[in-house]
Parts: sequence; C-alpha cells; structure tokens
Amino acid sequence: MSVQQIVDPEKIESELLRIWEELSKEKNRACLFNLIVYNHLSNRTDYIRDIVQKVSEKYPCRVLFISTDGEATHPYLKTAVSVVGQGTVACDYIDIGVSGDDIKKVPYILTPHIIPDLPVCLLWTGDPAKEHPLFDPLIKMADRVIFDSEEADNLLDYSKKILQIRKETNIDVADLNWARMEGWRDILASIFHSQEKLEQIQTIKITHNAKETPFFCHLRVQSFYLLSWISSRLNWTLKKATKELEFTFEKQKGEIHSAEWEKLGPGTIIAVDITTDDKHTYECARIPSQYHYVSIQISSEEQCQLPYQYLLGRTAKGQSLVQEIINKGTSSHYLQMLEKLNELDRDKLC
Amino acid sequence: MPNNTNLLEEAGRSTKNLDPCSVVIFGATGDLTSRKLCPAIYQLGRDGQLPPNFACVGFARREKSNEQFRDELKKEVGTYSRIQPMDETYWENFKEKLFYHRSEFDSDEGYAALAERLKQIDSTHATGGNRIFYLSVQPKYFPIIIEKLAKNGLIYDAHHTTDRWSRVIIEKPFGHDLKSANELQNSISEHLDESQIYRIDHYLGKETVQNILVFRFGNSIFEPLWNYKSIDHVQITVAEEIGIGTRGHFFEEEGLLRDIVQNHMMQLLSMVAMEPPVSLSTRGIRDEKVKVLRAIRPFTEDDFDHSIVRGQYGTGFINGKDVLGYREEKDVNPDSNIETFLAMRLYIDNWRWAGVPFYLRGGKRLPKRGTEIAIVFKDAPGVLFKQNGKVNEPNVLALRIQPDEGISMKINCKIPGASNQIHPVKMDFRYGSYFGESPPEAYERLIWDCIVGDSTLFARVDEVENSWKFFTPILEHWATLAAKDFPNYSAGSWGPKSADELIEKDNRSWRIL
Repeated sequence: MSVQQIVDPEKIESELLRIWEELSKEKNRACLFNLIVYNHLSNRTDYIRDIVQKVSEKYPCRVLFISTDGEATHPYLKTAVSVVGQGTVACDYIDIGVSGDDIKKVPYILTPHIIPDLPVCLLWTGDPAKEHPLFDPLIKMADRVIFDSEEADNLLDYSKKILQIRKETNIDVADLNWARMEGWRDILASIFHSQEKLEQIQTIKITHNAKETPFFCHLRVQSFYLLSWISSRLNWTLKKATKELEFTFEKQKGEIHSAEWEKLGPGTIIAVDITTDDKHTYECARIPSQYHYVSIQISSEEQCQLPYQYLLGRTAKGQSLVQEIINKGTSSHYLQMLEKLNELDRDKLC
Repeated sequence: MPNNTNLLEEAGRSTKNLDPCSVVIFGATGDLTSRKLCPAIYQLGRDGQLPPNFACVGFARREKSNEQFRDELKKEVGTYSRIQPMDETYWENFKEKLFYHRSEFDSDEGYAALAERLKQIDSTHATGGNRIFYLSVQPKYFPIIIEKLAKNGLIYDAHHTTDRWSRVIIEKPFGHDLKSANELQNSISEHLDESQIYRIDHYLGKETVQNILVFRFGNSIFEPLWNYKSIDHVQITVAEEIGIGTRGHFFEEEGLLRDIVQNHMMQLLSMVAMEPPVSLSTRGIRDEKVKVLRAIRPFTEDDFDHSIVRGQYGTGFINGKDVLGYREEKDVNPDSNIETFLAMRLYIDNWRWAGVPFYLRGGKRLPKRGTEIAIVFKDAPGVLFKQNGKVNEPNVLALRIQPDEGISMKINCKIPGASNQIHPVKMDFRYGSYFGESPPEAYERLIWDCIVGDSTLFARVDEVENSWKFFTPILEHWATLAAKDFPNYSAGSWGPKSADELIEKDNRSWRIL
C-alpha cells in the first residue's frame, strides 16, 4: 500500500494521478469493478479493512471505503487516497471518514469517483434492517449489495428487509454468512445427490462453534441457515420449535447444538450428523487438527464404511467476500432459505 | 422438477464434487512428469483443488524407491512449480501421497503388483478405487499399457460400474497419420469407452484459449462481424524461438506438422471458427469444433504446390548468438527432410467462412516466441478517407495466446491537427495488467477436469480423425518428394521466402509478432 495522502475531496483524482505517475515504473493500474464499503467504526473495522484488502489483491478494484463515527465529539469529513496491491498490479483506494451532519454529503463526494462502465459492488457492513441515511443512496448506486447477517440484531427483521429489497429493486444481494457455509452445502449436495436419498432423511443435527470473539457474537446464524436451507429445499413443514433449538417437522427432526473450538471462526459449523429411514448414519465433522477438512463416515447397523475426507473451500479470511463479489445474480436457494427462516425462527430463537 | 435434479445443488454456484482418487503416471521419470505434471499436481494440492483422499503413483522402468522418487520430485517441483518458492510445509504433507512403482510397460507381473498396490492405497488413503492413468509415454506403448490395465482389472466397465471410475489420459500425438490413428483408436476402444478416454492437448487448458469462447459468445459486438462479410482473412501463428533441444529422435519421426499443426493449431482454428454451441456442455462444444474440421476444404494437387510451404532451419542467430541448423542438431539425420516450419492457406467451406482464407504459420527457431490468432477485417468503403490513393491499415483483432496473454484491436484514428491524417492505434488488454493472480498452468486445469470427469477440454476421437483426414494427404505427398531446398531459412528469421510469397500473391502479408 502506498502512503495514504489526505486530500480535499476535489483533489482525489489529481492526487491519485500523481501517485500513479510516481509508481508508473513499478505498478500497473487496474480495476475490474468499483467496491463501495460502508463501515461504522467499531472493533470490526480492522477486520473489514483486512478482508477488503484481500479482495483487492485478488481482483483489483477501486475501493471507496466509507467510515462513519457515531462517537466523535466534533463532526468531520476527511478524504484520503492511496494505492494498494502486491506485485505489479495495483488499484486505487479512496477513504472517506465522516461523522455528524456531513454524512449527508457522502453520496455527493462518492458519485464522481465511480468508474463508469464497471460494476458497482456495495459491501454494507451495518444492519440493513436499521434506518441509515446512507443506505438508500448507496443502494441506488450498486449493482450488487453484500450484507453480513452477523451484523443483524434480529435475524427475522434482517431476512424481511433483504426480501423486501429483492422485491422492490433489481439489485443482486448476497450474504457473507451464507457464503461462509457454502462448503457445507456442497458436501451435503454431493452426499445426498439423488431425490431418493433426500427423501430418506429423518434427523439432522447441526453443531456450531460457540466461541465468541469481539468481531462475531451471533453464533447461531449459520446453523439456522443450514437447517432452513435444507427444510426449504425439501419442503419440510415445521410443526414445533423449542428454546432448546429442537425443531419438529411433519416427518423429520432437526437439532442445533454448540461446542467450543479454539481458533475456528465463531459460529462456524463444526459437524452435521444425519440419519435416514434406512438406518444409515452420516457423520460429517471437521477434523480438529485440520479445520478445513471434513471427515465423512457413513455407517449402518450392518456395515461401517471407511471414512473419507472432503476439503471445505474458501476457509481463508476474506475468501467468502472474494467469492460473493465474483458470483453473479442472487442465489435462489438463499432467498428461499430466508423465507423459510421466517417460519423456523418465528419465536426469535436466533 | 425432473427426478435427476439434485435439489441441494444450485446451478452455476455449487462446486463440483471431487471424488477421492489415485493418479498413476506412466513415464514417471520423463521430462513431462518432472517439468509439468508433478508441479501441476502439487500446485492443485497447494491451492486446495485436489480431493483430500488422493494419491499419485509414478510408474516407470527405472529402479527407484518411494523416497528417491519423492526427493527427485521435490527438486523438480521446487524448480518448475508456478508459484515460487515452493511451500515446504505443504510438501511434507503432500509427499506422503506420492509413490513409485517399478515395472516394464509390458510386464503382467508389474500390473498385477500395481493392482495390489492401488488396493493398499485405497485402504490406507481412502482413495475409493477411483483411478486416473496418465500415459506420458511414447505412443507405441499406449495399446500395450491399456491392454495390461484392462487385463488386470484396473479399467472398470463404464456401463456397469457406477460406484467407481477409471479414466485414461493420453498424451499427443494420437497416431502418426489417419491410418495409425484409426488403428490406435481400434486398439484402445477394445478396453475403453470413449467416456473414459481423455486425449490431452495442453493448448486447450490455456486460459486464453478458453477465453476465445467467452470473447466470441459472451460479447454481442463481435459475433455479427465474425463472418465472410466483415473478415478479410485470419492468421494463426505458433512461433517458437527454441530449436528441438534434446528431442532430435522424436522430431525426426514427427516433424512440425505432427508436433504442432495437426493438434494445437487445429484446436485454435476450430475454436475461432466454430458456430455457437447449443450449450456449454462437453458434447455441445465438441460437436461444433468437429463441424469446422469436417468443413475444411481438402487440398488438391494444385494446393500441394501453391497453398502450403514447408521449411527447415539452417544455421543462424537468435538473440545475437550463433545457433546450429536443424541438420546439425543432436540425433538428427544430416540429410533430414523433416520440416521445422510450415505455412499454409486453407479454406473452411461453410456459410460463415465462404471465401475467407485462413493462413497458418508455425515454426521452430523463429525470431521470437508467440502464439496469436489475428482476425483481419475488410477495409472500410473508400469514399471518405482513402482518396488520392491513400491506403488505411485494416482493423485487426489479435488474440494473444502466449506470452503476454491478452487481446488487442487495431483501429484508425485522426492525428490531432488541422489536416485529416489518419494513423493506426492499438487498444490493448493484457491479462497480466488486470488480474492480481497468475492463471493456473494448462496442465493444472486439465488434470483437475479429468478428476471431476469433464472432458470438454480434451479432444474427441472424431476431432482427431478429421484433423488427420485433412493432413494425411499432405504428409503422403511430402513423402514422395525430397525437400531439395532444405535448409531453406536461417534460424532467427521468419521462415523461408516461399512462405512470404504464399501470402503476398494474395496481396496480403504476415503479421509481425
């Protein structure tokens, strides 16, 4: 990263040009898309900056990083520019720090710096269900909005808001928590690859990591997502849900459990155990010494197969965001899952 | 919803499932294994693209222990893997999945022992009985290896075995001419179903070659121009700066036509000339490529004299250094008639390409390395900017396959100022200037495709057959005529004068790469 230069908003482009002229022998200026990041200064900000940097290293883009500060004693508006990227390919990074009334100026500062003809991706790291003066203006600029349900205070309100955005606009939406459990969805899809096998599922028990960190505290979300996804895809009808997180469907049962694993991401799914009508048990669990490997053991009363392993993709920090930015469209499974979530979590269990 | 749809899979989003498997490399002590295959497999593993339950067995004739094999590969991977330096920590884990098996290619005992060894690996590494056999050996060994594999139960019946699979990757050349290709096909198809055969042409694994389809069919502005109405001609060049190196024996048997033209250049030709496939399925794409090959106008007696030129390099200079002529190279006959250069003009007799010449040029010891497809467009009508005898440069769209991968477009622009002077300028897209990561090597992509069972980027039997159908008469014609003027170009030049004449008589010229 080049040294960050604090500049007046009107000098953003000229200062970037100056930096690039200095770097012209070392770096190529590249940009595949615009990435607007909205972030409220908190203990998650460093984490957000870190994953945004991962994205820009893999897919060079113009980053427009907005940080709002609700606790500042004096209102301020600061803009700064720099160049980021390892190796010979690098890209622009524009920082906008703001507090107080100046927040309403942000869209006006931002607009002239969107590179035309390239997609605009918005990473909204706040809770979309909460009113925010920047939400509507930024959403209108974007072709794709990426949320993180980890930020949601209430999962039901969150899902309603996302479904509403989809209903009222053509904007593509994505969710980092949905992306974080993609590997597990792929595993289950590959094990239960036929309609016949899917219809035999009787019970499903999901275990997640309940070890909190300052950045993550909504630990049940991914488990809820997984259960909701399966029940929506297989059209299960919920009869009863308890505070112990036991779910009774018309013919099937689901349970959500927790365990504490050091070093594994908070809320991350640790294991999924499934039983079927034909008395088979499918035990899929992360290997403690290698978190990104899942051991799959299929057994019945008569036989026990040799366990095999499956590699969960995209375990490195920031990889979920990288993938979601490149994905096109909105996952239909995700939207169905959110609708089902309204039913599963009607008692606000998550 | 149809019964065969997986309700848990989402089209375009779900990741392909990687079955556990073992890869057996025949010719494990050869150059290709050490420079390309093992670095590719290592890199796949390093990037998390291999199934966790995986093993790789090197099969060769030399005596060697597992440890020796691993140590040698470590050195080669350290030198040739795409991302340097190599990851020592990963290697320590990866090397435990590498094994060496010594045997002759025709030894029944050797294959029985291999079958036993693979069973053991299945039980220790949970590789599930799935097998890939990579034949990185001389083509004469293909039939015997496949026969022995089948005889020892290592090839599963593709129609009756559904819980395990076996696949065979065959390196080029697939046959020496049409007859030998058919014989080889007949021989291996006794034991293998077409769905189990993966005929590798590493050009198809290159990102830039795959991008030809995206460029043509993922953009709406080019396809309406992609035909005889707008295109004057197409040039495909595969130029190599290097000579034959240590491949004297091989090259004396093969020559440039068999080494590069019949396979790599025909793949490029069919990708650039094919119709839009009905889908991106394996069959959809291969069907359209085959149609192109079938539509190539066969050469007449007259074409043998006027539409194709062969050449052989003599002594010369490359990068300011003296280099030997072909006939002075190691393991080469001093009177050799083998071609190291070829230039030709061909036509594709279908609606889209009616009357559009395709000029192909390939050679060894040319001034620089470069593979390119150039689409040269017809001139704009001359009423406005071509008065008083002025001639404008044609628009050229160049797809650079290697090196400096990218796409450029030559257009005419007004030079600023009062007069109406026009000058060609170049718009240039370079992969290396846009994306932060180096693309995977061709072999990484192709080995991964074979593991997931996707044969789209491998040549189907009728592609090979139709290519040989076109080239075999040329080879037969050459076999009857000694190349009296060989060597006919200096190393470090763009080929013989007759190659320039071939295109100049059509009032065109070769592009400078």
